[in-house]
Amino acid sequence: MSTLPLKGIRIADFGQIIAVPYTAQMLAWLGAEVVLIETEQRLTTRIWPPFAEAEPGVNRSGGFNLVNTSKMSCTLDLKDPEGVDLAKQIIAVSDVVMENYSSGTMDRMGLGYDDVRPLRPDVVYLSLGAFGRTGPMKDLVGFHSVINLFSGLASVTGHKGSHPRIMGGLFPDAFSGCYCILAMLEALYHRANTGEGQHIEVAMTEVLATLLPEAVMEYTLDGTEPERVGNRHQYKVPHNVFRCQGQEKWVAISVESDAQFQALAQVAGIPGWADDHRFANAEARLKHQDELEPLIQEWTMGLQVEDVVQILQLSGVPAGPVLDSAQVLADPHMINRGFVQSPNHREVGQRPMGAFSWNVDGDRPGVPMTAPLLGEHNRKVVQELLQVPDDEFERLLANGVIS
Amino acid sequence: MLSEGALTGLKVVEFTDQVAGSFCARLLGDAGADVVKVEPLNGDRYRRNGPYPGGVPDPEWSGLFLYLNSNKRGVTLDIESSKNRSAFLDLTSEADFLVVGQESGEVERLGLRRELLAAANPELIVTSITPFGLIGPNSSYLGDELIAISAGGMAYATPGIPDKVGDPYLEPPLRSNTHMAGYLAGVQGAVASVAALLSRTIQGTGCEIDLSMQEAVAAVMPYELAHASYDEAKPRKPEVFGVMPNAYLPCQDGYVVVMAVMEAHWRNLMALADNPDWAELEVFSSGVERARNWDALEPLLLEWTMAHTGAEIAQLAQDKGIPCFPAYTVGQMVDSAHVTERNFMIDMEATGGQRFKLPGYPVRLEKTPWGSFRPAPKLGEHTAEVLDEWLGYSPEQILALRAVSA
Repeated sequence: MSTLPLKGIRIADFGQIIAVPYTAQMLAWLGAEVVLIETEQRLTTRIWPPFAEAEPGVNRSGGFNLVNTSKMSCTLDLKDPEGVDLAKQIIAVSDVVMENYSSGTMDRMGLGYDDVRPLRPDVVYLSLGAFGRTGPMKDLVGFHSVINLFSGLASVTGHKGSHPRIMGGLFPDAFSGCYCILAMLEALYHRANTGEGQHIEVAMTEVLATLLPEAVMEYTLDGTEPERVGNRHQYKVPHNVFRCQGQEKWVAISVESDAQFQALAQVAGIPGWADDHRFANAEARLKHQDELEPLIQEWTMGLQVEDVVQILQLSGVPAGPVLDSAQVLADPHMINRGFVQSPNHREVGQRPMGAFSWNVDGDRPGVPMTAPLLGEHNRKVVQELLQVPDDEFERLLANGVIS
Repeated sequence: MLSEGALTGLKVVEFTDQVAGSFCARLLGDAGADVVKVEPLNGDRYRRNGPYPGGVPDPEWSGLFLYLNSNKRGVTLDIESSKNRSAFLDLTSEADFLVVGQESGEVERLGLRRELLAAANPELIVTSITPFGLIGPNSSYLGDELIAISAGGMAYATPGIPDKVGDPYLEPPLRSNTHMAGYLAGVQGAVASVAALLSRTIQGTGCEIDLSMQEAVAAVMPYELAHASYDEAKPRKPEVFGVMPNAYLPCQDGYVVVMAVMEAHWRNLMALADNPDWAELEVFSSGVERARNWDALEPLLLEWTMAHTGAEIAQLAQDKGIPCFPAYTVGQMVDSAHVTERNFMIDMEATGGQRFKLPGYPVRLEKTPWGSFRPAPKLGEHTAEVLDEWLGYSPEQILALRAVSA
């Protein structure tokens, strides 16, 4: 088991909704001490579904509890100057500040990068925005659907001849989180080597545009806009999902070589496929995929998803199940590898979730711990960390500065 | 001459035939690491991918290759021939990172596991990216982009809210026409690599990272997994979406996002639509009611959006503080004032003089910015240079390698 690399690093997490909370959670898994600063008057995922057994409650939201494990929660009223002052004290003893409020919000509260640098000259301060912190659209609020649709990603997602589609899974938030943690680890490495902190700025629309090099190149060469092609591929055929036995059961099949196609034809038991001039080579299959796909589906429709996968994989043909999220969490392979973890939560018990996507020397690093209850660590943070005396703590609590 | 990045001074060897491994290594190069891409003698597969300037296939000008391999030097070696293999092993013994990305059977067959390399270089960090990982019951499965997006749960979840499928039994799950799983695994592979680097500064030794593309996809879906974990898996066609309108609708010249989930936004939106009589109907009296009766509301809103262009609606709405936006095509995104002013795209020029752009760097580090230090290598461009510089091979030794290769 490798050493958790961020032991001793403290993070002031001003994250909202998914993107920055998800990033800070990964930093917590790597050993950082993360103080999530929440404001009771403006909760987001805590008061949004899904709730455990559909029963609402600030500690019962899966949307919150799955992106805030292994953190401490401290509730401060950031509209109150005394609340802001406590936030500044937390920053003064932290190595990292992360935020994804609308542009300018942290500055207006007196918690912007320029405000906090005097408190902590070597701070690494990350700001993430839908459109970033500069440019004509910097002040616009953009949720995931807007980011999908602005970035061009939706325009390459959808069935042939049909409209643009939104990626599932609040994709822009988590993909942005992956870039954010990479930038943060680099900044912390630089800081460890030089003592120098820095500001990091991230735009979610730009994160999504990193998926589109071919489309950007073609457009800028000659004005060609990409077409939507469903699940098809520029040269692999078949390359699609096919219905199997049961409702909403699908299998993904991707054939790159003629040898793989021969193997598919063999196991699908359709004599003649492999010799059919329409399917004999990749070029012919590309031309005749409208005819080929229904033939494959006729075969898959009679079988269970896992049987198709097994048969094809044993024959050297790439295939995989189309899993829904419940199946992901129940997948024996991913459970065996350690991807699925079930931290115990004081109010809702053990709930499965996804951890890091990699093992280190055979073990899953940074196994998630429980997500905090709302304000669970107020005393620990304010009294132990900031050394605020008892009577002062009680006064702040009575005045609603801490809630 | 390399500029200073956070990873300047570190050495990376890459050997991969997938987007994920190439992108992972490029990200390390973007941060200043000295990345050596080892290609087979006939070149990386994405040299034959395109798109090409002028549409003419040319292995030196394949767009996807150029994008995945900037900030690297290129070395060609046939690592399955013994003499070339020893040069490859010499490179890994000098490196801080080895990034491999193949199907797991190939990783084993080619002897790319850390246990075979660590004796010569205990500090080596091996980042291995495979479709289903190196261990576990399905680890030998073959897989690619489509398989990973499907087995990781993303295809089933697409289209995502506020979109939904027409008929969940007939409309297939969907991927985007991108190498999304490859980029997800590539970025997460770089994260794991830099995390391992930080661990190495504490413990002194390297490690082997076993990253699964399937899990790299599943890992970015906490919201979908939360539904399955806390309540029930989110259906592909939910009966009701929380609060409406939070949708995108066709308009005169494309699509426009109409988002008015706050009551004030809804009233302002109705004012823009000249306060139609139906706006007062009980069935549209709250966001929840509007969600419940969305099938009735959608065609009414469509009458309004179809009378305008996306830009008109966005302008009208934003003047009233309503977050509506036109959906952009890739071209509109590239040409937008916002993307231009932020200077996001990287300008490229092909040998024929054709100019084009590629996406740039989405994170902006103030002190250690990611940078375009060098273009993608020509096939074998730096074989002699790197073998000399990293290993001190003599010109005769290098020639001898080439003779074997020929």
